[in-house]
Amino acid sequence: MDGNKEIRVLLGNVAVARGIVESGCHVVTSYPGTPSSEIVPAVVMFKKELDLNTYVEWSTNEKVAFDNALAASLTGKRVAVAMKQVGLNVASDSLMSSAYTGVIGGLVIISCDDPGPHSSQTEQDSRFYAMFAKIPVLDPSTPQEAKKMVRDAFELSEEFQIPVLLRPTIRVSHAKQNVRLLPPQVLERPAHFKKDPDRWAATPRYRLVLHTRLNDTLERIQAKFEQDTKWNYEAISSPGAELGIITCSASFVALMDILEEFNLKKIVDVLKIGSPYPLPQNKVRDFIDRHEKTLVLEEPGAVIETQIIDKNKVLGRMSGHVPLQGELTPEVLYDILAKVLKELEIFKLNAISDPKLDQLVSALDLPVRRPTLCAGCPERAAFFAIKKAFPKAIYPSDIGCYTLGLNLKAVDTVLDMGAGITFASGFYQAYHQDGKDIPIIATMGDSTFYHSGTASLLNAVYNNARFILVILDNEITAMTGMQPTPGLGITADGSQGIKIPLEELIKGCGVKWIRTIDPYDVKGLIKILKEAREYTQKSDGGIAVIIARHPCLIQYPEICQTNRVKVEITDECNGCMYCIDFFECPALRPDEKEDVVKIDRTLCIDCGVCIHVCPRGAIVRKNEKSLEQIE
Amino acid sequence: MKTQIVFAGVGGQGIVFASRIFSELGLKLGMDVMGSETHGMSQRGGSVVAHLKLGDFYGPIIREGTADILYSLEEMETYRVLKFLKRGGRCFVNLEDIERFDQKIFDHLQSKEILFRAFDASGEAFKIGSVKSANILLIGYSVGTGLVPFKRNDISSVLETVSRRENLEMNLKAFEDGVQQGRAERK
Repeated sequence: MDGNKEIRVLLGNVAVARGIVESGCHVVTSYPGTPSSEIVPAVVMFKKELDLNTYVEWSTNEKVAFDNALAASLTGKRVAVAMKQVGLNVASDSLMSSAYTGVIGGLVIISCDDPGPHSSQTEQDSRFYAMFAKIPVLDPSTPQEAKKMVRDAFELSEEFQIPVLLRPTIRVSHAKQNVRLLPPQVLERPAHFKKDPDRWAATPRYRLVLHTRLNDTLERIQAKFEQDTKWNYEAISSPGAELGIITCSASFVALMDILEEFNLKKIVDVLKIGSPYPLPQNKVRDFIDRHEKTLVLEEPGAVIETQIIDKNKVLGRMSGHVPLQGELTPEVLYDILAKVLKELEIFKLNAISDPKLDQLVSALDLPVRRPTLCAGCPERAAFFAIKKAFPKAIYPSDIGCYTLGLNLKAVDTVLDMGAGITFASGFYQAYHQDGKDIPIIATMGDSTFYHSGTASLLNAVYNNARFILVILDNEITAMTGMQPTPGLGITADGSQGIKIPLEELIKGCGVKWIRTIDPYDVKGLIKILKEAREYTQKSDGGIAVIIARHPCLIQYPEICQTNRVKVEITDECNGCMYCIDFFECPALRPDEKEDVVKIDRTLCIDCGVCIHVCPRGAIVRKNEKSLEQIE
Repeated sequence: MKTQIVFAGVGGQGIVFASRIFSELGLKLGMDVMGSETHGMSQRGGSVVAHLKLGDFYGPIIREGTADILYSLEEMETYRVLKFLKRGGRCFVNLEDIERFDQKIFDHLQSKEILFRAFDASGEAFKIGSVKSANILLIGYSVGTGLVPFKRNDISSVLETVSRRENLEMNLKAFEDGVQQGRAERK
């Protein structure tokens, strides 16, 4: 065990994990999602390194993760629950209620925001959830600070018996920094649940009592934040500065780098806020009073700005000085600062961009390098078969690698986790009402199905919807970095759990027609899809579910070593680019010189699926001229 | 010394590993290290960019026009990230043939006193039998040219700590090979 204050360069999420471990946290639960996914694996890593007894769980979804953690907190244990910002939507029911009941052992909720957005469906601000639920939030600027804040969040949570939100943005979660490691705190907390039904099972009448208590608690927390100088402090304080800037999270450090570079530290003052809710109102008011104008820089929402009572001297999103969407990158921050300094006639910051370079580069008309499914990905094979079988169906889909079925035009909708199925039933009912029968092929990954597929599916069955659901089962949560699923039966720390086969679960939802097939068998899948469609149209039919099962090639590369089908492209290729446009395998590359398609052998994994793709039959099994083409 | 480095390429080219070499180097030299990586979608063949700052900085993101060094493993990606380089910065691109590089942009970089070096790291990697070593070859090459403030011995000793055991020998070989190629150009 290392107690020697070792320094390591850690990813923000790993620093958060280290903070969790150093705080003596007993229970950690999570559902993966970028930018939060690396927290749990890092907790497992430290647990093993330090031989700790931490209970770590990949839960089936964020609400499940939240409730499991909260219950453990009620027994007195320190608990942490981690998720991405849209995951907090899923857990929000529990979050709101837990603010009223409060906690016993410290409960720290880590919700990673994604301004940009880089890897999410919204740019929502988790700090608004803290405000909505009435719980305090700590907002780190760097991995170092995130690690320290985790410890403080636990202490705050236990001092006030309230859940505490830690809100790193992606520029903290995926930043890396040298971080000093401390030995983990050892907290003996034998599980002891003290019954108190007025609190833990409060009826509406007692909920009012709890709400009153919560408001009182918040007032005391705010008073504490007023006194705090660790997270809320004036980072720059120069006499006579006309412009004040209130800022937090990644914006704070990006701003400080700019102020340093352009020698502006004598011209502006900076108030750094690490606890944006409840806002230390007096501290903020005093800062605003001392300056001609105060600029608020925070992201992605206007949480601090919203709470400022008198906004007369405040510049920010509401005054139009800060964009309402997008990330506050250093370039955007520079432009905002330049504009404000100019407007206030304080200083002239010159434009820093290189328009000539921008112009020259944009003249190249560089192709957008859109993300794509890997070479040999079984999901591509499934999408190709779906498009072949039903070229004009409606294709509701969902969140995961297979969202990239978009590129193959086999994905029409992506709303949130689980909506692949609910959209299918919703579309069905809308058309059915008008007496129309159209093919609807929904796709969803295995992990997404375990996350939120069952409630949607049993609702669809119950209400007699008719559609085909193809579950793309690659036996892993691939997009977020290969987390195990209940279908695999392996738990977060690698130990054996109980395997829950998809087939049993789907049967349990009331589905009577279930087929399992390897999507590499494109012909077979097309045949099954057509049978499935017939079943959905029969008077005594229903929803048809096809499990397209083939392991993810990144997670299970050994699978690629068996059943190899080496392919080659014959002289029949006339460069029609059908395979490029409708199959989009990265291993198939247009050769501009010869106007044909060639195979990139460094990427090809010999899955052989593309044999079925070429309309001219020009892609063949090597040394085998038989054409195996789909009619 | 304050140094800001941008790494660019596509998923699978070892951008994150290249950035890790320099963060461990910073740690070894007792400097503050900060950086930023792309995760998630980008692993599926998209553009990958990593930022690394060595020395006294507040935040991990490099602002356009301020990077000292750019390593790019892919020609197209190079054009996208050139904006990060400062006047007088150093640019090392994995490029089979410098003639292919856009002449107008090349001239513009010259006018900004940016030292541009093309090196066929992929071809060289193929020659030494390790196609995945282009990242290390390019770093070795830059050290060989003497245009970057890093010592050969420091980096090879970092390679010994960050490489997987089965890759160590190849990594060191690729680095040394790159250094020699860079040196050859100095004469």
